[in-house]
Amino acid sequence: MKADQTVTLNLPATADFVDIVRLNLYGIASKMGFSYEDIEDMKVAVSEACNNSVLYAYGQEGGLVEVVFGINGEELTITVKDEGVSFSLPQDVSDAAPTLHEKELHDVEIGGLGFYLMQALMDDVSVVSESGKGTQVVLTKRLTRSEEKV
Amino acid sequence: MTTNKNDKFNAKTVSEEGKNVVYLSGELDLSVAPDFRLVMEPLVGDSEVDLAINLRELKYIDSTGIGILLSVLKARHSMNASFAVEEVPTQIQKLFDMTGIAKFFEPQENSQ
Repeated sequence: MKADQTVTLNLPATADFVDIVRLNLYGIASKMGFSYEDIEDMKVAVSEACNNSVLYAYGQEGGLVEVVFGINGEELTITVKDEGVSFSLPQDVSDAAPTLHEKELHDVEIGGLGFYLMQALMDDVSVVSESGKGTQVVLTKRLTRSEEKV
Repeated sequence: MTTNKNDKFNAKTVSEEGKNVVYLSGELDLSVAPDFRLVMEPLVGDSEVDLAINLRELKYIDSTGIGILLSVLKARHSMNASFAVEEVPTQIQKLFDMTGIAKFFEPQENSQ
């Protein structure tokens, strides 16, 4: 594939369309030569970003989510953008979702794992949230050449 | 909306000899989370019967699905009832390990 191409999806911000994002991601990432494992990781991360838009950004209102796949030879950048009311985000995303590793079962709180998973599964995650202008999550995964191709 | 028949979520409950096993297949994500909760609700409350979830045919799970498994785990634990997760595919086990939920699914003594 040529460098610096983009594919853009505009989807209703409902849970029913998140699988469409995964299907497109699979197509694009496998074309670029990502390994099966990397693609599975990206599927989870991108879905979590879309879930956030569906759940928090729009509430019951409906609306659109824009997903942009930025393709270049070395990496895939996925931008998930909504124009809903921004959800409140912890100051430091890396501290956002404590994992359950040090917790006892009765201390475990459900939810909050989505941001942790994005962070853990991608090479780079950035979140830009501006009041009144929605939220933009940018996820980046770099191609590693040596792995088995799909 | 059906995009791919193989990916469509399904939960099938098999009940026999004091044990309920729920076999999950397809993709467990936000869109089908309410369906999965509905399937689990009556089973979770029955503390006399062992409960297990089999993930052999599960293709995908997101944090919503993991959250439901956690809430089932907590509810069963509080009733001192059993809950097991069987045949976890590699990719899903990786997410369980990452989030730290894996340690709660390990076989453990009921008496603490």
